Amino acid sequence: MNEMLTITIDGVECTCQKGEYLYDVATRNGIWIPVLCRSDAFDDHRACCRICIVEVEERGRRKVVTACVYPIEQECTVYTKSEKILEERAVIMALLAHRAPDSERMAEMNKFMGRSGFDRLISVDGEKCILCGLCVQACNSLGTGAISTVLRGTDKKVDTPYGNPSAFCVGCLSCANVCPTDAIEYTQTDTTRTIWNREFDLAFCEECGSLMGTTESVRHAAGEDSEVPSVCDACRKKKLADEMMQTYRYV
Amino acid sequence: MTEIDQASKIGEIIEAYPADQRFALAALQDMQHAFNFIPEEGLAALAEYLGCPQAQLYSMATFYKALSLTPKGEHIIKICNGTACHLRGAMNLATELKRDLGIEPGQTTEDGAFSVELVNCLGSCALAPVMVVDGNYHNKLRVEQIPGIIESYAEGVTDHD
Repeated sequence: MNEMLTITIDGVECTCQKGEYLYDVATRNGIWIPVLCRSDAFDDHRACCRICIVEVEERGRRKVVTACVYPIEQECTVYTKSEKILEERAVIMALLAHRAPDSERMAEMNKFMGRSGFDRLISVDGEKCILCGLCVQACNSLGTGAISTVLRGTDKKVDTPYGNPSAFCVGCLSCANVCPTDAIEYTQTDTTRTIWNREFDLAFCEECGSLMGTTESVRHAAGEDSEVPSVCDACRKKKLADEMMQTYRYV
Repeated sequence: MTEIDQASKIGEIIEAYPADQRFALAALQDMQHAFNFIPEEGLAALAEYLGCPQAQLYSMATFYKALSLTPKGEHIIKICNGTACHLRGAMNLATELKRDLGIEPGQTTEDGAFSVELVNCLGSCALAPVMVVDGNYHNKLRVEQIPGIIESYAEGVTDHD
């Protein structure tokens, strides 16, 4: 059993285990910290959007940390809405909003907590991506590894190798779904889906006809040695339940 | 170099390293050295050997300036644009090179003879402005010297001491 600690976040006393991330403790206690590049799907967080900064006071010293990846090691007092934090967060928010001016979600968030007076910043034309790399993390964690960040500095972007349709992409949309700014675009018709310049055939459940994903993603999810399922999860469970009912009917 | 030569050379470079991801950069550097660029087949073969996504290696190859995905020229001209060289007219050297070779920094001549690069500091500030061609330092350069230097490399003169 880990050592238990009591910390104060915005005046609220919270108990937590030693080594727990500050963000997790705050959320558990109903304290909201804004985030962009964080997804609950992963254990390790990137802390590159810097939106989640908070002020931590330990042994009488105050410092600014990213709540996503700050492990609590000792008793401390945390301020998520101090004047310093609100100001610094507004600057970061404004910079990100100018980086991704076409993203509606960024505009909304900036309106909510940004600050005016950044008119001198030049927006990146037609950009929605804030280069947090969540999509790359998602793709790698699925074992597909079809996309990565390419080039560097102002030219940096997320793309497939050589910008070609990737042989490893399965069209699962994990990258698009995890993206905090809706920057990854795809098109879908009744039978096909196009993402990262590649067209995929869609797979439908043989029982209920609902969409299961692309044929490639269904095969990838099933694993190499397993049979590719032809019915969706809900139908499979229903079928199993029916069988169980038949079997145990007379017990 | 024929395709078979290239494939066997790629195999040779890759297999000199253990199949561990930390050797990716070293293998890429060797490929850059052998071919003057990193061929697509090389990237794919290395990814398979190391068991990592090709996208990750592509990310590396585009990140480092020392690695190139398009063939570099036979002679690589590096113009130092560090603070000292910049003040002593490194950009004038670049302009002169553009006049002689018709290419901007970062480009390669059509015949594949020369590539011009701007680099940040070569650590020889006392010799500013510095230009390095194929590893040979040409220091305290004046713009008038450039055409002669280019010519000597084009003719294949190797002794530049």
